[in-house]
Amino acid sequence: MTSRVLPPLAFGLVLLVAWQAIVTVLQIPEYLLPSPTAILATVDRSLAASFTVTFIEALAGFLIASVLAFAVATLFVRFHTLEEGLFPIAIAVKTTPIVAIAPLLVIWLGTGWWSKIVAAILICFFPVLVNTVKGLKAADAEYRELFETLGATQAQEFRKLRVPYCLPYLFSALKISSSLAVVGAIVGEFVGATKGLGYLIMISSAHLETATLFSAIFAAAVAGTAMFYVISFTERRLIFWSSGEAD
Amino acid sequence: MNAIVLTDRLTATPAAPCDPVLSIADVSVRFGDVVAVDKLSLTVRRGEFVSLLGPSGCGKSTLLKAIAGLVSLTGGQIQRSDSDLRVGFMFQKPLLLPWRSTLDNALLPIEIQRGGNVVDAVERRNALRMLDLVRLGDFAKAYPHQLSGGMQQRAALARALMCDPDILLLDEPFGALDELTRDTLNEELIRIWQSKQTRLNTVLMVTHSIPEAVTMSDRVVVLSKRPASLIEDVGVTGARPRAPEDGDTAAIIRRIRMMVRSER
Repeated sequence: MTSRVLPPLAFGLVLLVAWQAIVTVLQIPEYLLPSPTAILATVDRSLAASFTVTFIEALAGFLIASVLAFAVATLFVRFHTLEEGLFPIAIAVKTTPIVAIAPLLVIWLGTGWWSKIVAAILICFFPVLVNTVKGLKAADAEYRELFETLGATQAQEFRKLRVPYCLPYLFSALKISSSLAVVGAIVGEFVGATKGLGYLIMISSAHLETATLFSAIFAAAVAGTAMFYVISFTERRLIFWSSGEAD
Repeated sequence: MNAIVLTDRLTATPAAPCDPVLSIADVSVRFGDVVAVDKLSLTVRRGEFVSLLGPSGCGKSTLLKAIAGLVSLTGGQIQRSDSDLRVGFMFQKPLLLPWRSTLDNALLPIEIQRGGNVVDAVERRNALRMLDLVRLGDFAKAYPHQLSGGMQQRAALARALMCDPDILLLDEPFGALDELTRDTLNEELIRIWQSKQTRLNTVLMVTHSIPEAVTMSDRVVVLSKRPASLIEDVGVTGARPRAPEDGDTAAIIRRIRMMVRSER
């Protein structure tokens, strides 16, 4: 574990020291590029509050999207016509940029929590849907024949074969959508919000408070990374049998 | 090593028990324009070890799957001696579920029969006994990726036996294994079939190896290339274990080889 954590930590430290030195020696004005110490000075309770807001929006969107996508994927696999009819529409919605939809969400849902949560849902939903459908169909025909010879019902085949078989595919999508959830929440906040990291980024850039802007950006990165690693960790614990990435 | 009592029920000349377990009459299977099996008739009797021998892609696996009910017939019929007859099926691949331990894989048929996840202690003990029978007793807690190919196939055999079948249908069960492992597992299969530890008394095995078919079976059903139809039904007598070099066995192997060659 230490051998995996130590090198990036050491490199990060070296970069920070170099950054601090360059800013000090070249006397770069703070509104252009603040030094790491200046950025650190802006880390306060209000940043933590903004972080919490965005993190909760992203997490809620991510969880709701994952449950919804899994349910829809199950229906798609069970009822083939549903998949044929709805999948192309799903793809069309997916290719529409979230930035283009976000203003509409604010009109419909207001500047509160829900417009951000729905933006996060929209952006997380499709990777999970596509991969879950793929994973639920991934079990070889021979496995299905095995279950047939054992006299399994469709529900048994689904529970004991298709769902566990799908898990590597599901987690691979969850890792992607966990970082996307933060993007969705921040985009939602850009368009209309009174709190959160997206709001903080907009305000501090308008006021040329570049140090605050930087700390907000880092906080957003931390939110995405934290979600990614929690899912990665769960994946390694849960899916001990599959070493490769299924996507 | 646990002691398995071998009976000499079939090592001597079988007492010609002639009650049919499976009656296959004029069976045809077609996939679109491709005829896989063409008007094939065959009777399998209780207590027999029968091999279906034929070249790759001749439709012998399709016939086996039709018997198991995995493929529907386009003509003819397959009758089981009684509706309670329990049929076990074993595939060429082990098809173990990678997220289940060996023991839990063996318990899968029971869980499916019961319709729940709860398996009682009796069945757990029964599964452990079955793993002992295939000499995997020490690997009950191991996962499939920790087992060798031969051990995985042993686990698959234990799982097939958990249904407590009267008849076992085997589709080139050890075909993907190396020759040494394959020979060992073939001997084990014979041992289990002869032992009275399970209900199993009849075996129908698909193979494309002439020596394998002749050394193991009471009868070798030689099939033509696709569509599969009967060339000859060769009876094999002589005490087991048989070696392919032995006089009688070697003679039958030679005869079948000529038969298959003239067919080409």
